[in-house]
Amino acid sequence: MWIKDMLDVCGKELRKTVSDVGVLVFFIVVPLLYPLLYAYLYGRETVREVPVVAVDDCRSTTSREFLRKCDATPDLKIVSYCADMEEARNVIHNHKAYGIIQIPRELDKTLADGHQATINLYCDMSGLLYYKAMLSGCTMVSLDMNRDIQMVRLSGMSDHEKEVMTMPIENEYVTMFNPANGFQAFLIPAVLILVLQQTLVLGVAMMAGTEHERRRKGELILGDEYSNPITVLGGKALAYLLVYGFTATYVLCVVPWLFNMPQLWQLPTLVAFIVPFLLASIFFAISISFFVRDRESCFLLFVFVSVPLIFMSGISWPTSNMPTFWRFLAQIFPSTHGVNGFARIGTAGALLQDVRYESIALWIQTAVYFMTSLFIYERLYRSDKMPGVEFVIAMRTRMRKDLREAGRDIKVIGRKLKSKL
Amino acid sequence: MANKKQGFLAIVRREILRMQSRPLYGLSMIFAPLFCFVFFTSLMHEGLPQSLPAGVVDEDNTTVSRSILRNLDSYQQTEIIKQYSSFAEAREAMQRNEIYGFFYIPKGTGAKASSQQQPVISIYTNAAYLIPSSLLYRDMKTMAVMASAAVGREVLFAKGANMDQAMGFLQPIQMDMHPIGNPWLNYNVYLSNTMLPAVLALMILMVTCFSIHTELKDGTAGEWLQMADDNILKAVSAKLFPQTMLFSLMALIYLVLIYGYLQFPAHNGFWPMFLAAELLILASQGFAVFIASAIPSLRWSLSLCTLWGVLSIPISGFSFPVMGMPAALQAMSYLFPLRYYFLIYVDQALNGIPMVYSAWFYTALTAFLILPLLDISLLRKAAHEYTYLP
Repeated sequence: MWIKDMLDVCGKELRKTVSDVGVLVFFIVVPLLYPLLYAYLYGRETVREVPVVAVDDCRSTTSREFLRKCDATPDLKIVSYCADMEEARNVIHNHKAYGIIQIPRELDKTLADGHQATINLYCDMSGLLYYKAMLSGCTMVSLDMNRDIQMVRLSGMSDHEKEVMTMPIENEYVTMFNPANGFQAFLIPAVLILVLQQTLVLGVAMMAGTEHERRRKGELILGDEYSNPITVLGGKALAYLLVYGFTATYVLCVVPWLFNMPQLWQLPTLVAFIVPFLLASIFFAISISFFVRDRESCFLLFVFVSVPLIFMSGISWPTSNMPTFWRFLAQIFPSTHGVNGFARIGTAGALLQDVRYESIALWIQTAVYFMTSLFIYERLYRSDKMPGVEFVIAMRTRMRKDLREAGRDIKVIGRKLKSKL
Repeated sequence: MANKKQGFLAIVRREILRMQSRPLYGLSMIFAPLFCFVFFTSLMHEGLPQSLPAGVVDEDNTTVSRSILRNLDSYQQTEIIKQYSSFAEAREAMQRNEIYGFFYIPKGTGAKASSQQQPVISIYTNAAYLIPSSLLYRDMKTMAVMASAAVGREVLFAKGANMDQAMGFLQPIQMDMHPIGNPWLNYNVYLSNTMLPAVLALMILMVTCFSIHTELKDGTAGEWLQMADDNILKAVSAKLFPQTMLFSLMALIYLVLIYGYLQFPAHNGFWPMFLAAELLILASQGFAVFIASAIPSLRWSLSLCTLWGVLSIPISGFSFPVMGMPAALQAMSYLFPLRYYFLIYVDQALNGIPMVYSAWFYTALTAFLILPLLDISLLRKAAHEYTYLP
């Protein structure tokens, strides 16, 4: 009965998982702690109070007001007022500040003449967030001061008239789905999905590696207890799905809740999307686990892949600007669709029809990776034709067994002959 | 005969044979880094993303709104791919990931603008995709301010002001931004400079730990130590020497790729960065030997090395600055070799300041090399009395 066989395999696989500390670390401990670490790391979303130095060559009320207002923004903090650029540069070189605001000597004169005055900003480009903080902080202050200057020049008009004159069309900015416009809400969903896929791959590969080692030593001989590789594969997948049902609930629901991240998903949509993602990841993991020869090599083979995978998902560098080759390659990994789907379901509140492309892709992947793992299992179970060294070892054991049997047969025949004679 | 199989060179030869015997080493020491080198530099070859897809909702449909939209499309980084008939439609397109942001011009904008009632136009971006969202915002904000200024400028021109006077009135103080070292805001420069050594360092940490512990696991450690006259320092350094050479070659490849072929800024020339890369390799090896000696289990020490290698990527602070992290993690960042490499790169390649300012970072990297001296005797003990725990 195939259902019984399948449940039997599932039970064995679960017992194997629980009894193997190495696999438990991947299936439970890493998904439990790693997302917390990442969410904690990006918890402040963005940088505040970026240290900058000021070089005020003008030393007028206007220039002092400008610097004071810059210092008051949440983005910037003026740590030092330097006499000249040389001194300011020295502060930067000593890693005490990340930018210079330089106000030219003729600022007041230019303004009084009614021309356009320029304030120079120099920014250390080691992090784009410094640039962003400096640009937005100073721009905000300059817009504010520009309005004040215009208001004074427009004396004789009513307040409303002045405002219309200075800003005939007002604008407003809404950052949708990521209210703090920060790192946590944008990067963590991708990390969460990637943790699910990569721990599955590592855990499954570790089990396959262990099996491989034991087979090589002759401790494990593949039996033919189960008539059908589909039941074996189905049983294993069921076991992993059961474990990852819990893991995924924690990773995708509890972690964002703990860190107050946007959670706009609706339960049916999330479940309908995550199930194919987990299935695709499971069969993907089983398929590639056949390349693993021993227990620990999964680290060397699969860990580094996480780094390109997170970029392939398009969460950071936009997919629309990726070279075609990488865009196509990205399609074969469950994480690419998982990240894009989950980021939009969880963060942007998309419904299943909005992520139709991703969920169809995941179902196709499930089917394809099921076929590839079935193909490999078929080879392992139906015959002893295993690639490479394993093939030789298998043949050798079989030959020895044959020889032993032949020897026994000869003895029996000899005895028979003796008794007849 | 016995003499010939002893000594530094013999272990080096033995290690080369070991590395050749398993494709795993080739995959992790050559293929993995090369793949990532090519991946990251080609992924972001545009430098700064161009023509990001955006949409508009023009409920106004007047000459004023159309002139705003026409100007918006002329920006290099923004490409208006579609006009949506309602706000809901545009929002759904954003949820489908067709656009990263849109402009919303409500009904009556033109009429209000000409009757001086100060209408409001809105910019919406999908900040779940932070980079395209920030870039779109920059273009759209400029555009909105320009649209407003254009109306104001017309009024001033009508009153007889010239261009200079008009701009002096509309924007008395302007900002002139000078991004030091990376004036193109090139993301490839910004990310690849740290991403490539990060992947290399990750592989070094794992391979070093793996190759030492497999000796113990396979039961060949006795032979290995005996070849070095039971001198663990000699045994480890001879074993890691061919790996150091191979990793140095990989480092050379990425340095030539980014500073030679792609012409990323390297203001102090090639050598300070080469020195930093070499020290990063040695520091990573030193750290891995330290861990491998301290934890006598292949899986646990490998797990810790992996964790260190992966964690060093965010904690080095190249994408999200260390100063924005919680204090505990700020303190932790000192324990990661990549952090120092990143600081050296900022000083030496990006900003090109005298090497004396980075002296402390070079020293810190070197310190990782001395780390194994603390506990390498444990490794010797383990090599003699080791039992493999799965």
